[in-house]
Amino acid sequence: MNATRLRLILLISALSLLVAVMPVLAQTPDENTLIIGQSVDVGALDPASVNSRAEANIFFHVFGTLFEIGDDGVLRPYLATEYAISEDGKEWTFTLNEGLTCHDGEALTAEDVAYSFERAADPANAFTGNTAGFALPAIGYQGMRVDGDLQVTVLTDRYQTPNLRLALISEVYIHCKDSYSALSLEEAGQNPIGSGPYRFVEWVPDDHITLEAVEGYTLRPTNFQTQIWRVIPEASTRVAELIAGNVDVIANVPPDQIEAVNASGTAQVQAVAGTRRIYVGFQFGENFADAPGYEALQKTEVRVALQYAIDVPTICQTLLGTECERASSMVNPPNNNPNLEPYPYDPARAEELLDAAGYPRGENGVRFETVLMGPRGRYLNDANVVQAIGQYLSDIGVQTTVDIRDWADYRQLISPKEVGPMFFLGTGGGTWDALYDMADLSGPDAGTNYTNWNNQEWFTRWDSLADIRDLDQERTVINEMLEIFYNDPPWLLLYFQPDFYGVSNRLNWSARRDEWIVIYNATLK
Amino acid sequence: MFVEGQGEHLAPLIWMRRFMGQYIVRRLLQSIIVIFGVTLLSFLTLHLAGDPTYFYVSERASEEEINETRIKLGFDKPLPVQYLNFLGNLARGDLGMSIRSRKPAIELVMERLPATLELTFFAMLISIVVAIPIGIIAATRRGTAADGGIMLMAMFGQSMPSFWLGIMLIIFVGLQLKWLPISGHVAVIQPFMEGNIAEGFGNLPEAIRFLIMPGVTIGLFSLSRNARLVRSSMLEVLSQDYVVTARSKGLRERVIIMRHAFRNALIPIVTMLGLEFGFLLSGVVVTETVFSWPGVGRLVTNAITQRDIPVVQASVVVFAVLFIIINLLVDIIYAQLDPRIRLR
Repeated sequence: MNATRLRLILLISALSLLVAVMPVLAQTPDENTLIIGQSVDVGALDPASVNSRAEANIFFHVFGTLFEIGDDGVLRPYLATEYAISEDGKEWTFTLNEGLTCHDGEALTAEDVAYSFERAADPANAFTGNTAGFALPAIGYQGMRVDGDLQVTVLTDRYQTPNLRLALISEVYIHCKDSYSALSLEEAGQNPIGSGPYRFVEWVPDDHITLEAVEGYTLRPTNFQTQIWRVIPEASTRVAELIAGNVDVIANVPPDQIEAVNASGTAQVQAVAGTRRIYVGFQFGENFADAPGYEALQKTEVRVALQYAIDVPTICQTLLGTECERASSMVNPPNNNPNLEPYPYDPARAEELLDAAGYPRGENGVRFETVLMGPRGRYLNDANVVQAIGQYLSDIGVQTTVDIRDWADYRQLISPKEVGPMFFLGTGGGTWDALYDMADLSGPDAGTNYTNWNNQEWFTRWDSLADIRDLDQERTVINEMLEIFYNDPPWLLLYFQPDFYGVSNRLNWSARRDEWIVIYNATLK
Repeated sequence: MFVEGQGEHLAPLIWMRRFMGQYIVRRLLQSIIVIFGVTLLSFLTLHLAGDPTYFYVSERASEEEINETRIKLGFDKPLPVQYLNFLGNLARGDLGMSIRSRKPAIELVMERLPATLELTFFAMLISIVVAIPIGIIAATRRGTAADGGIMLMAMFGQSMPSFWLGIMLIIFVGLQLKWLPISGHVAVIQPFMEGNIAEGFGNLPEAIRFLIMPGVTIGLFSLSRNARLVRSSMLEVLSQDYVVTARSKGLRERVIIMRHAFRNALIPIVTMLGLEFGFLLSGVVVTETVFSWPGVGRLVTNAITQRDIPVVQASVVVFAVLFIIINLLVDIIYAQLDPRIRLR
């Protein structure tokens, strides 16, 4: 065999290998499999430690809750059939469905529900995140009482409006005592034993989680036999996988790629007005007393004037890729005050009000200077929106310096309230109760009162809510409070963040407003 | 012991045994300082960026809840105490528990290391296997269109940001041409490590399909640089007297190039390999994100953004140890290739 022939054979072999390698991968999910692409992986699979929306989405399919928050904000029975509230409003007794079991076959009774709450609250377990760090403290959790096989009572230290409390209780994932007490915390974080419509099959870290429908589960539908939750961190890659038909649903489609998805013929983008309130906070904390613009921003007239300076619909259209309506309060519709109209974009009116407030333009055209802080990489196109707001304010003579930080750094300034004199932020809201959204301002010193706003009219009414049992009367007070907020705004009201979901054309599924991906009810077209 | 004149060829081996041991011990001692340095630096950087507690509380948590979490996670202790605790545990081989997943941090890193090594070695393979022949072609055909074309491509390869290249490959090769999968991973090393030899081999063809795009994305820069290095190194060697002598003796050009010139031109390339490995390892951070590759790069990126300090520290230690080992191996190979070089 001469050298030329040998070379030819080698070349043909190499090409054959290449051809073998090249064929298209048939990754398209079959009719029994649903694939969802999320940007982040779970940290652990422990139902008591929910640290991100990505985790909550998966847990919701593996674990049942006592009630379920519907996409319309209505709370519906789930593992529990009903509840009763004690006269003082501090004890909530739930009645469970009969014949419930966990995925390992263990019967799920009142004792297991009590255990689920107690385990999450146990300081020895040192859980962080939503259940232990927010939901249980927010209801004033005191403990649990087992009243029978199917009756269990949540003990709290105060009355709370029913919808709000029920929604918070519905964020606790129920699991079985015998199964979990036999596991170490590390084991519990790797092998969840659920009580929901799908059982855990496999977790390949940073790659995917596979769930399988529980046979005979009657409380919720299981229209697909298998759910695969893939981790695809890069937005462009998620979009490419969706267009290629390799995934059925993705979250956070970048606005600049919406057109590409809609033109692909394989998927469409669903845009929903999310529940996250996006706003600019005015800082009242005295640690900012020397900051530029602080003094001016203490005046109600100035803060009202600035509301007229921002063209929110244009920001939405140009920077967020969708139409949106400006927020008229901190509360999500339909729970907001219907009598309040969003501030219109009227820069001339803003200038008039600033003149009247004692801040006319100087010779250089500047009324006063200030700083607007904002994050990069947390909210939809956040850095660009912050830049645009800074420019709108500068246009009416409020010379605004924009200070943008990476989210990881910015996050650490928010809770200690070290952001100001103006700062851009988005805080999660809900569809089920106005008070959930208003709880940001539950007290002058509340951890989430990032502005340190201290309007006594607001806080007196907030305190009065604890004694009001009549829901109509409660609604009246809420409307009054929202009017106070509107007229003495601690926030420069912007919009409810639009969320973009890419959905395969083969699927019947509607995205929710509250950032949850609840997909057990999806069907094939 | 060997009889004079009969065992002289063993002298280098004896030398190697004597000095190599000392050399390795010295390098390992130096590596302790390196590990101390990198862990201190990463520890300080993460803490100087602010209190990590806020990453482990709900955005609605009260000040009291934040304080409780700070104590739970041990971030209430002074920084020197936290670092000394870490060092004490490190000396016992304990790199701590991940705050997020509550698993040993080293376990998380080792779980993902095979995927990263697959990608790194594949990229290295591409960068060597392709760079050497095209570098030789460019050198032996200096001044021709082939040389110009290769050098132009090498320049492009070095100029393209890997993030952009990755996205372009996804769009054109994955989405439009549908030749290769867009993202994901099929394990090869992991099954071998678990003793599933058949599964490891079975996965190989599929794994290669998943490896090509991320491998090219990481490896193209190195490939281009290596091609230029091979070319310049070959050009230098080809002008040496011994090559002229070989030519004058009438040896065939292929023998001159492969036997006389290439072996000597290889020395600077081998030197680069150790550094190359470190470069490719650092490159995986971006590429793993673009291609949803479940490796250490993504683990460490997430750990940094979530301030999961034990995981960052464990990753830093593992990367540093890998880098040290690879460079040690390169030094040893280097000495083997060129007898004039002694390890001291």
